[in-house]
Amino acid sequence: MNKYLKIFLIVFGVGLTLGLCGVYYVFHMPHRNLADEKPSIVTSAKGLFDDFSKDETIGNKKYGNKAIQVSGKVVDIKVTDKDATIVLADETSGVTCSFDSATVVDHKAEFQKIKVGYATSVRGQCDGLDMIQGVMLSRSVLVQ
Amino acid sequence: MKKVIVISGLVFLACSSLFAQKYICKDGNVHLLSKTAMLTIDGKNNKASSILDSKTGDLVVQLQVRGFKFPEALLEEHFNENYMQSGTFPKADFKGKIANIATVNFAKDGEYPIDIVGKLTIHGETRDIKKKGKLVIKGGKVEGTSAMNISLANYKVKIEESYKDRIDDNVALTMDLKYELYQAK
Repeated sequence: MNKYLKIFLIVFGVGLTLGLCGVYYVFHMPHRNLADEKPSIVTSAKGLFDDFSKDETIGNKKYGNKAIQVSGKVVDIKVTDKDATIVLADETSGVTCSFDSATVVDHKAEFQKIKVGYATSVRGQCDGLDMIQGVMLSRSVLVQ
Repeated sequence: MKKVIVISGLVFLACSSLFAQKYICKDGNVHLLSKTAMLTIDGKNNKASSILDSKTGDLVVQLQVRGFKFPEALLEEHFNENYMQSGTFPKADFKGKIANIATVNFAKDGEYPIDIVGKLTIHGETRDIKKKGKLVIKGGKVEGTSAMNISLANYKVKIEESYKDRIDDNVALTMDLKYELYQAK
């Protein structure tokens, strides 16, 4: 085989493999991991809710899609095999934090320790203000 | 005479608010599905809120667009940033009525077909809709379900020409809302 053709085929093969790996990675890149993310804003659950209730548009601009760390008193906790929800500060004018199943499975013991009335901190992606559930955080993680 | 009218009006208002029963839902499931040979867009939001008034039939459903979660992170990012522009339009909601609420007996177990009429707002665009659904009453619990198709173009969600073979304009939305009787604490 021609030497140049051989080199071309090798370079082409390597390039194609790398390209395919790149495409595969982009399509299957992992979801946002809040556990490794530094919070953009650290606040209290009440402070976060108050900011949104004063002006929802400004609230969305300030907190929307960002990693927010909130602290507050647990007023409701629901843990299932599939997911978990912790409500901080107040049932209707507080912060509702939802946790993915992987987080619940990995931190089962920590979730079992949390009871209504306890103070805790949660970091999550801020999704906005809900009419019943207060400020919504998703993909949440417990902060030690 | 005026006094009598005012007092009877107040009494009526007090009575009607006393008997008005509101049901609320906090963990409502809304599923969106769009499928082409090349791409399946399968998003789930399990944090939809809803308030249903069993007397008047008034119905509100609201969700955060960012609350839709997809198996693929890239798809979720594109859904929020390129298509739904969730930074500008963080919410989607429905405000309207169950037109035939009088046919639903909340005290009797059963399946009741419902007619949903009202305004659906997605991507900042509001459209009148008229859809079918079902209310299931079982042991005092109320579950509302509905399935509908919406056109992305109708809500001004833009699909680039080069993606039109991958993303179907027609999106199937299914809702499953489990209500609890609202009791003020």
